[in-house]
Amino acid sequence: MFKPKYFLTPLLAFSLLLGLSACGSDDPQSLTVYSGRSEKLVGPIFEAFEASTGITLEVRYGSSNDLALVLETEGNKTPADVFLSRSPGPVGYLEDQNALAPLSDDILNRVSADHRSPDGNWVGFAGRGRVLVYNIDETTEAELPASVFDLTDERFRDQVAIPGSNSSFQDWFTIFRLRNGDDAAINWLDDMVANGARFYPKNGAIVEAVGRNEIQFGLVNHYYNFQKVAVNGDAQRSANWGFADGDSGGLMIIASAAVLNQSDHQDLAQELIEFLLSDEQQTYLTESVYEYPLAIGVSPSAVLPDTPADTVGAIPIDDVSSAFTRTMEIIEASGILDQ
Amino acid sequence: MSEPITQAADQPRAGVGRPAPALTFLALAIAALFAVPGGYVLWRTATAQVDHLGLLTSAATLDPLWRTVQLAVLVSTTAALLGTGLAWLTTRTDLPLKRFWRIVVPLPLVYPSFVGAAAFLSGLTPGGIVHDLAGAAGFDLNLRLHGLFGAWLVLTLFTYPYVYLPVAARLAALPRGLEENARLLGDRPRTVFRRIVFPQITSSVAAGALLVFLYTVSDFGAVHLMRFETLTQTIFRTRLFDQDRSFTLAFLLLALALLVIATERTVARRGARSAIISNQPALQVPLGRMKPLALTAISFVVGLALFAPAISLADWGLFGWLRDQNGTTALRMDWSDVIVPTWNTIWISLVAAAAAITAMLPIAYLLARHRSRTGDLVNTVVVAGFAIPGLVVALSLIFWTLHASPFEFLIGSLPVLVFAYVVHFGAQALRTSQVAVSTVPKQMDDAARLLGARKFRRFFTVDLPLMAPGLAAGGGLVMLSTMKELPATLLVAPIGFRTLAVEIWSTYEALYLPETALLALVLVGISALLTWLLVVRRASHLA
Repeated sequence: MFKPKYFLTPLLAFSLLLGLSACGSDDPQSLTVYSGRSEKLVGPIFEAFEASTGITLEVRYGSSNDLALVLETEGNKTPADVFLSRSPGPVGYLEDQNALAPLSDDILNRVSADHRSPDGNWVGFAGRGRVLVYNIDETTEAELPASVFDLTDERFRDQVAIPGSNSSFQDWFTIFRLRNGDDAAINWLDDMVANGARFYPKNGAIVEAVGRNEIQFGLVNHYYNFQKVAVNGDAQRSANWGFADGDSGGLMIIASAAVLNQSDHQDLAQELIEFLLSDEQQTYLTESVYEYPLAIGVSPSAVLPDTPADTVGAIPIDDVSSAFTRTMEIIEASGILDQ
Repeated sequence: MSEPITQAADQPRAGVGRPAPALTFLALAIAALFAVPGGYVLWRTATAQVDHLGLLTSAATLDPLWRTVQLAVLVSTTAALLGTGLAWLTTRTDLPLKRFWRIVVPLPLVYPSFVGAAAFLSGLTPGGIVHDLAGAAGFDLNLRLHGLFGAWLVLTLFTYPYVYLPVAARLAALPRGLEENARLLGDRPRTVFRRIVFPQITSSVAAGALLVFLYTVSDFGAVHLMRFETLTQTIFRTRLFDQDRSFTLAFLLLALALLVIATERTVARRGARSAIISNQPALQVPLGRMKPLALTAISFVVGLALFAPAISLADWGLFGWLRDQNGTTALRMDWSDVIVPTWNTIWISLVAAAAAITAMLPIAYLLARHRSRTGDLVNTVVVAGFAIPGLVVALSLIFWTLHASPFEFLIGSLPVLVFAYVVHFGAQALRTSQVAVSTVPKQMDDAARLLGARKFRRFFTVDLPLMAPGLAAGGGLVMLSTMKELPATLLVAPIGFRTLAVEIWSTYEALYLPETALLALVLVGISALLTWLLVVRRASHLA
């Protein structure tokens, strides 16, 4: 018969033991990184860094917004030295909270002014383009729209998927709104809803739905279709379409890196960011995981669509929180989330 | 007519005898720990720079609140009906293959809702394998899965085991004498069920439906994929840039949960309960001409809830494995990416389950043996932990550990992670522990005392062996929830601690679907094994 006493006591003792032994060390040759970029993408860069410097990296992966919240909650007791964010939103939020340390000029000058914080506290290290994904059996390139504003036409009725609750979409919509004004942005979104645009929660879900012809178009990050094609080959019936050069539909969202001002390892932390921006790692990012490199002098992989003209870092945002809150209010009011 | 039988139990009625001060103190201390997430939400709401009344009465709040209530009421009602019906079929009828059904019927509980819903969606919609297989077999599965319907369907299918397990156990353990007497007195089977059986299972149904309700209001994955804007969605979307609103809405969610918990407590009190647990096989009803219909119904439910997502996962996984075998695209993981997380998942969930049972036991004693205001308070605080979204639980523990407790040194360690699991999921073991305690006949304890056994000795040699099966079953529910837990694991676990849920999330985020599918199948497999070992085999004691 089952006897809990033989079972509970050793397990509890075991857990306590493991817990105590897991308490962190203050090894000067060790850095703690909070990464909002997936391990599958940036893990190899961290391994290369450890191999080339002998510095140990402790990496906590999670969603960028969650990690920013954790960093804020931990406050001055955070163990983190470096934060990698999926976009400037979460790092910008922490910058507004005065939680970040200024980066060295060497690092900031590795990228163009559009790809770093105007205040010098974060730097972009890789870009994803906002594109229109379409089903290649249903639509030819000639029929594709030149502008995101064309999607409100009758011919796109009920055929466009919008990831309204997705962070990248919200990044794009924030810039779209600041570029074109609130009124134009609100009208566009309302027209999209009136034209039967459908809400999908995730970019990946849209690329899948378009691939299986559940819906014909979707506003997504360019990266997902590359992943699907890498796995499915010709069986993947979807492709990316960048809007015409300069159109508000295209935008580069930049993954961003920052150093926490509570970090006791400022120099090592900056060293890691320099490494991210090195030619070698930038080449890895574009050739192996199909992102746009941001370091000046490194060219994007030949398979990528043209680099979007506009980037999310090009517009300085005074108050990141209120900018995104306003974006969310407009998205909620449009009713797209109920479609 | 059931009243004399209930009274015939050799139990003290709840409320007889005041709880020992030590027991009250212990229960209150445990409840204080469980109050950490709720207290954090309360504090953040109170200090939020918002117009609380305006926010709480605005359409942007009331719409998602109304949707949340609609969904939770629908899901808990249908899960209650489905769980009870399936429990009756598998315990009280001559349904063929009963042993098989008893193992597979509870298993849909093991799908992490984000993967389960994703697999479900991609399998059942046009182009998905289940849809196409059904099409080939002549069925046109024209499901448009989104919104209230989609969220209701997925959540009902994944949560009915919360009702099924306790009700099946209760039905199996009900003394046959009650029903035999009623039949001898001339009642027809339907009347027997309504007058005798139903009052005996009400509290189990209510306890299960409560867990379903709380699961639904705090779920994020399924409603997100089904594009249904509930309160958790709004909380999640505003969590960073509009924290004041996010926490105020979390407070609203908590208030809703407290209201429902109080209601369930009232229902549970009213329900009659025979304290005698029978060892005889339960009374069986021959299905007769209904047998094919019953078999079709149970196959349909299990097919949709368990096999449809599993087939989608197998489709993704097999596809990836085949491409790996013929050298087209290598799988982007190796054995160590599976074995280490699997081992971590197994042992951490067992530790969490054991810790949850340990924490629930004193409370179960208090609730089962005494009726007190303290008991009500403790019950409410503990159960509410299940309604708070995992992310909020994680943040509250980080804040508490670092800034408001002497345990700063424990941050990022396994005890804090286990603590998070226990606070979040402990409620799932509370009712089963309570029932386990009430199955210990008081006179047995008295006999042991007369023979000179001391308190602790009595507990270990008399109470614990009697309660073990029931406790293990409650722990089983905690274990399954822990195995698929994601937000707290990501944010609170020691850095580098990998569980299957973490790996599934990480591959899914990168859209590595074959790898996601293989890991999810491993999770389903080990959950099935542990469910069988810990829950199903002992389910007869899980009343």
